[in-house]
Amino acid sequence: MDYARFVRLRRPVWDTFERRLAASRRSLRGQGYDDLEEMALRYRQVLHDHALAASRFPGTSAAGRLRALALEGTRRLTGRESRGGVLHFFLHTFPRAFQRQLGATGIALALFLLTTVWGLALAVARPDLGLTILGPQAVQGLEEGHLWTESLVTTVPPAWSSSLIATNNLSVALSAWSGGVLAGIVPLYVILLNGLMLGSIFGVTLQYSMAGELLKFILAHGLLEMTLVLVSAAAGLEIGRSIVVATDRPRGLVVRDAARGALVVLLGCLPWFPVLAVVETLVSPSAQLPFVLKATVGLALESLFLALALRPLAAEANP
Amino acid sequence: MAAIRHESILGLDNIRLDLPVASVGSRSLAVFLDYLILAALAIGWVFLVVIALTPLLPNWVPVFLFVGIFLLDWGYFAGSEIATGGRTVGKMALGLRVVTAEGGSPGPSALLIRNLVRVLDLVFGVPLMAIDPLSRRLGDRLAGTLVVHDRGREKAPVLGRVPPGWGPRELAAVESFLARARALEDTAGAWAMADRILDRIRRDAPELLEGVDTRRDPVAALLQALQVEES
Repeated sequence: MDYARFVRLRRPVWDTFERRLAASRRSLRGQGYDDLEEMALRYRQVLHDHALAASRFPGTSAAGRLRALALEGTRRLTGRESRGGVLHFFLHTFPRAFQRQLGATGIALALFLLTTVWGLALAVARPDLGLTILGPQAVQGLEEGHLWTESLVTTVPPAWSSSLIATNNLSVALSAWSGGVLAGIVPLYVILLNGLMLGSIFGVTLQYSMAGELLKFILAHGLLEMTLVLVSAAAGLEIGRSIVVATDRPRGLVVRDAARGALVVLLGCLPWFPVLAVVETLVSPSAQLPFVLKATVGLALESLFLALALRPLAAEANP
Repeated sequence: MAAIRHESILGLDNIRLDLPVASVGSRSLAVFLDYLILAALAIGWVFLVVIALTPLLPNWVPVFLFVGIFLLDWGYFAGSEIATGGRTVGKMALGLRVVTAEGGSPGPSALLIRNLVRVLDLVFGVPLMAIDPLSRRLGDRLAGTLVVHDRGREKAPVLGRVPPGWGPRELAAVESFLARARALEDTAGAWAMADRILDRIRRDAPELLEGVDTRRDPVAALLQALQVEES
């Protein structure tokens, strides 16, 4: 087929497809079934014409037009994801992704507990560690019988502390997650550092007989806060694993799937951080609230999160 | 201006699609513009909160500042791309757009993923883009996305008649000349080039020049002889 004949015969198809693309520029939702079917047919025809023009008439105006139409059509008609709404996300998508990465979460928890014990042992064996970790002011406070955490509400209004705590914790979770792309090194660092810090801080407070007070302070918010950081870091570890471990599938696809699953887990964790920040500023430091109430709040929050994340799900249909 | 680099991918029915991949230079410039806008937004936010909220809710000023800056920092790029189908202000200025590795429209999760690792890409992004034929940074690899040029299509002349024996090189050269002939300041040069093409037509297919006045305006004669249309 010569060029002029090719253009003369096929141009009506290209014009129709271009008109339909222009008509649906704002959204494809307004299009009827017949319109979409016709558009899909024209898209396929344009793709085939593009392939022919690219090989037989490269560099011509028709080849250029077809390439632009094929790219525009591909962008507009393919690649979108289905969305199920917020409720569906928290009741189905998040629990499924969370349960898929239980292995990584278990590893994160084991590493965290190991380093917590190590930090505790280190702080008990080396009493001077408290000064290094907490600083002279906090240690002086411990000697006088009060925790450094009291300053959270005495020096600044609760709203300030809440926003600072929430943004800080969110940053930690986001960094632990995104750092997974460096072969999992950053989430590993976050897990180990948090375990070591928690263990050694407990060890230091033990020496001043203030461990009970610290437990009272962290119980309301700390349990879930640590869980969320560990789960986010475990999601980062999953990304790291997909980069490092070889499988039968192409690595690019494996990494992409792992990132999508990990993102769901992260998004399921993030909304809890602002809630915890409010608890950390209003409930945790309060001298008026009894220990039992704080423990109840802490356990209730943790149970709620775990009940949601571990809720039984129907078996996934094969795609 | 440097030519846009095209990289082939396999689309529907394994048909080759040539994506106009954005290179590290245009992407860096786009992100530089975006960070300038981000800085302006952050400064604007600080002024707005301090001026508007201090008289009304003085205790809440730091709260709005912390939260606002945090949201801008983590949300500007992802939010812009989700809202505009893969573009930020910087990308719009340079005619760039994010697409999937298959050339499709990326969903919110892919756009979120590519922007959540942006901090790391400030360090690793440029060298990774420089060595990758598809100019992908860490975020693109993780999300399965690419950044392409998206400048829309310009109308171009298409030949309605072609002398026998002309191959794609001749077709492309004549169409390219005709696309620019009217805009050339050097009219004499354009006419000389048109005359040379007319000579070639006279040699290969003289019947195409029947009834065409080639003496007055060679460019117009060429358009008439080849029955050129805009497409």
